[in-house]
Amino acid sequence: MMTNLFSVFDPSTSVYSLSLNWISTLLGLMIIPSTFWLIPSRNFIMWNSILNTLHKEFKTLIGYKNINKGSTFIFISLFSIIMFNNFLGLFPYIFTSTSHMTMTLSLALPLWLTFMVFGWINNTQHMFAHLVPQGTPPILMPFMVCIETISNMIRPGTLAVRLAANMIAGHLLLTLLGNTGPSLTSSLLSLLLITQIALLMLESAVAIIQSYVFAVLSTLYSSEVN
Amino acid sequence: MLSRVAFRSDVNYQALQRNVPLMGVRCSQTASGERDEVNFPRPVRAELPGKVRHGFIPEEWFQFFYKKTGVTGPYVFGVGLSTYLFSKEIYVMEHEFYSGLSLLIMAVIAVKKFGPKLAEYLDKQVDAIEEAWKSGRNSEIQTYTNAIAAEKKEQWRAEGQKDLMAAKRANVAMQLEAAYRERMMLAYNEVKRRLDYQVERQNIDRRIAHKHMVSWVVQNVVKSITAQQEKESLAKCISDLRGLAKA
Repeated sequence: MMTNLFSVFDPSTSVYSLSLNWISTLLGLMIIPSTFWLIPSRNFIMWNSILNTLHKEFKTLIGYKNINKGSTFIFISLFSIIMFNNFLGLFPYIFTSTSHMTMTLSLALPLWLTFMVFGWINNTQHMFAHLVPQGTPPILMPFMVCIETISNMIRPGTLAVRLAANMIAGHLLLTLLGNTGPSLTSSLLSLLLITQIALLMLESAVAIIQSYVFAVLSTLYSSEVN
Repeated sequence: MLSRVAFRSDVNYQALQRNVPLMGVRCSQTASGERDEVNFPRPVRAELPGKVRHGFIPEEWFQFFYKKTGVTGPYVFGVGLSTYLFSKEIYVMEHEFYSGLSLLIMAVIAVKKFGPKLAEYLDKQVDAIEEAWKSGRNSEIQTYTNAIAAEKKEQWRAEGQKDLMAAKRANVAMQLEAAYRERMMLAYNEVKRRLDYQVERQNIDRRIAHKHMVSWVVQNVVKSITAQQEKESLAKCISDLRGLAKA
């Protein structure tokens, strides 16, 4: 029984007020395949090919400067943890940790903050130059500076809220539909299941896409700084 | 029973039950004698995951039921347990249940539809990697097999040389034979010529002797014919002639 519609997102499963449901964040670690034997398994090859594709993509976005070498690793890890959390949250009774601002903001804010601090301290002129995009007519430049500053300021917010809101929206819809389940006749039940299957397909796509978007945007923000 | 860790795979489990040392144990490790290998065997990492039925239920659970209840036992147990849980509302069918149901249907359809193709593609990748690992060894084996075949061919060729030599020898023998016969023929002809000459000479000698003898006899006879004898023989001839003419 739910007190309100959003109680599905409440952290529960507590042991002496120690919330254990956040452990679902680490569930992805159990799923990542390991190479114990010399010849890899099918799972590992699939996972490896996904990571390689991402690495190639991020490499072109980050650039080829010496200081950026190896930066793709952190963004791929970011992608992994967000994707696993999003996707596993679709399973019943698994807590979606990325639907909480605590989680998404903890990922986005330190990332953005470090980029800003590093950029402004080390490449101050470069950062100032970024505030005015290429090809702006001179008369618009002051306004562009304002707009770009504001856009920079809200970046952690957008990153965090985009992810959390997408997750919440999807889960909310599924929960709403599911709540009508107990009061349905058997014939309408098949309709419900079909609708939910369609929604789930959408949600799986959204889960993966949102994690990809998060990672790509972080990559772009990091490439801006350098 | 619930864990899929390490030595729960069939082979090793049976080995454990038979109380024999596990196959993965190396001789160097048992040599020290520090550890009681029989009662505390070293766990071996299983190569393949444990057998499951219907995708996620372990085979051991079915084996557990088999002795007492046969093949349908676990299914009856499952149906009974779920009926109990649903009817007593111990497991409440609320929104999570329905989304779980939808997810289950979606997952089963996805696995059945895309599973085989994806498995085939991934298996090809695995095979490619395995092939790459084995390629060095295999190419060496191939090289040596080819070398062996080439060597055998060379040996066969060398044996052919023997036949060639025999043929050449026969050829030379034949030539010698032909030369010998030719010379034999020559010798025979020469000898025949010489002998023929001797024969001719004898013939000529005889002829000359004969001629001489005839001429001598004729001479002597002619010398010995008197005139009278001549007249008598002439008259006889004429009377014989007359007699023949009348006949």
